[in-house]
Amino acid sequence: MGATVITARGLRMRYGRAEVLRGVDLEVRAGEVFALLGPNGAGKTTTIEILEGFRRRSAGEARVLGTDPGKGGDAWRARIGVVLQNWRDHPRWGVRRLLAHVAEFYDRPRDPDELLDALGLTAQAGQAVGRLSGGQRRRLDVALGIVGRPELLFLDEPTAGFDPEARDGFHALVERLAREEGMTIMLTTHDLAEAERLADRIAILVAGSVAVCGTPSGLASVVRARSEVRWVEGGAVRSERPDDASRLAYELHRRFAGPVPGLEIRRPSLEESYLDLVRRAGPDGPGAAAFAADGPRAEREAA
Amino acid sequence: MNRKALGIGLRRGWTEHVQFLRDRREMAGGLLATVGMFVVLARWQGGTDVPGTDASRSVLMAAGFIAFSVSSVALMGLPMAVTADREEGALLRLRTVPGGMPAYLVGRAVTVLAQIATYVALMLAAGLAFTPLTLPAAAGDWLTLLWVLALGTLSVVPLGAALGTLLPGPRNAASILSLPLMGLMVVSGVMFPVTELPEPVRWVAQAFPLYWQGLGLRSVFLPDSMLAAEIGGSWRPLETAAVLGAWAVAGLLVAPWLLRRAARRESGTRLAERQERRAAQGAF
Repeated sequence: MGATVITARGLRMRYGRAEVLRGVDLEVRAGEVFALLGPNGAGKTTTIEILEGFRRRSAGEARVLGTDPGKGGDAWRARIGVVLQNWRDHPRWGVRRLLAHVAEFYDRPRDPDELLDALGLTAQAGQAVGRLSGGQRRRLDVALGIVGRPELLFLDEPTAGFDPEARDGFHALVERLAREEGMTIMLTTHDLAEAERLADRIAILVAGSVAVCGTPSGLASVVRARSEVRWVEGGAVRSERPDDASRLAYELHRRFAGPVPGLEIRRPSLEESYLDLVRRAGPDGPGAAAFAADGPRAEREAA
Repeated sequence: MNRKALGIGLRRGWTEHVQFLRDRREMAGGLLATVGMFVVLARWQGGTDVPGTDASRSVLMAAGFIAFSVSSVALMGLPMAVTADREEGALLRLRTVPGGMPAYLVGRAVTVLAQIATYVALMLAAGLAFTPLTLPAAAGDWLTLLWVLALGTLSVVPLGAALGTLLPGPRNAASILSLPLMGLMVVSGVMFPVTELPEPVRWVAQAFPLYWQGLGLRSVFLPDSMLAAEIGGSWRPLETAAVLGAWAVAGLLVAPWLLRRAARRESGTRLAERQERRAAQGAF
């Protein structure tokens, strides 16, 4: 992994009195696939739009490819590819014609026909853009995003609204771009499984700040909610989520001086842990501040 | 602006113009409807002279409808195109591309000018075919025709672009703009002389470019006997140039600023908001 491509420090965004971002810290390195994971309303799109240079931040520092994204000129733009969620533009243009048109803006574009072939759109080359299916449209958006050979590609919720098959095909495409082209990719998603599959590193964004950041496997151990210990005592089921489940089990065994009736220790799945994290750190949750404070430590541990 | 963006913008504009010409709905709904309305009106009640003159009513309508074509493309077609570019994301797409904004502006300028040229040519052809309209013989009249068309275009195109940045969406643009435009058409001397209207209405008409462009075109196509039915009994070329010029300057001052602001404010979130709103409107 090479140099840093994106740095964000204390990114804040305020709309009127609502604070959407409350100090986002991020670092994305060259060649990695980085996922910004979080529930709807966590500030993912706002963060990515600030980094794309489409939105002015209220406070904080940001560098993308060595430039402040709020001040990036055409030379900077040429090094960045952007794929948004809601594009329905140029519906009357032919697929190939639009791709060739966008390619013209770049000094060293990819060949439009090869790109259409690589994305499985050759059969649609002459079709009007407005008649493409959802999945085809998104593949064309990716083609338009990478036709200028960007070093960095932003994908905002790239598989929202896809059926499982289209989603799988899209994941394979992103993996191929990262592996074969060495492109740095930053994507947002609210789907943990998608982030786990695609990303080298994941940052979980909750209520406007990064709760944790790390590799998928590292994240699993950090995020993991406390295990639940259940047992039967005095005719009733008791349950606790102690700091150390093993210690509690040991103490129970000592107390019962033998086998503990109905003893169960449940480790929550990563999905459950993620949901737990999102719930606890929700906009009004008391845990938000604590989790934000945990961020840097968690990142160190995960790394 | 660099030459590369200019070249891309010219090709972009031409591509979109060809799409417009091939789109049957746009052709039938806009172009042919306007020309058709003119032909029907000219044949229905254009056979007489304007009272007090020996100027043909149908030629008066031909001049008026040519002026109206310019206003209708610039103040209706252009705002709808700009709002559609915002709503669908074409503006945002070109923001993601190096040199995209100048190319976008050049492209839109090409489409609007090509559309105006198409409308004016068709309206002129219909006038020649269905009314006693003749092309000017004197060089001076040709010169007037050219500057009135050019300055008239310049007086409404920036204004239309500005409207396109302010209105929420193409459908709203159509419903908000069509009624005022039709009203302006009725009071601006497109179908009958403004002197047949009450004084206050005449003042309203004289505040907008459409009346003045029509006046300039009547000075080209109609005999001087028509002056009996014109305000002040004069073609008033200086006033025409002054009013059209003032609108052009005002538009050119405001439109670039509004366009830059509109482009700067585009983002994926706004795109999503607008499309959700449109979907909600569609549901009712």
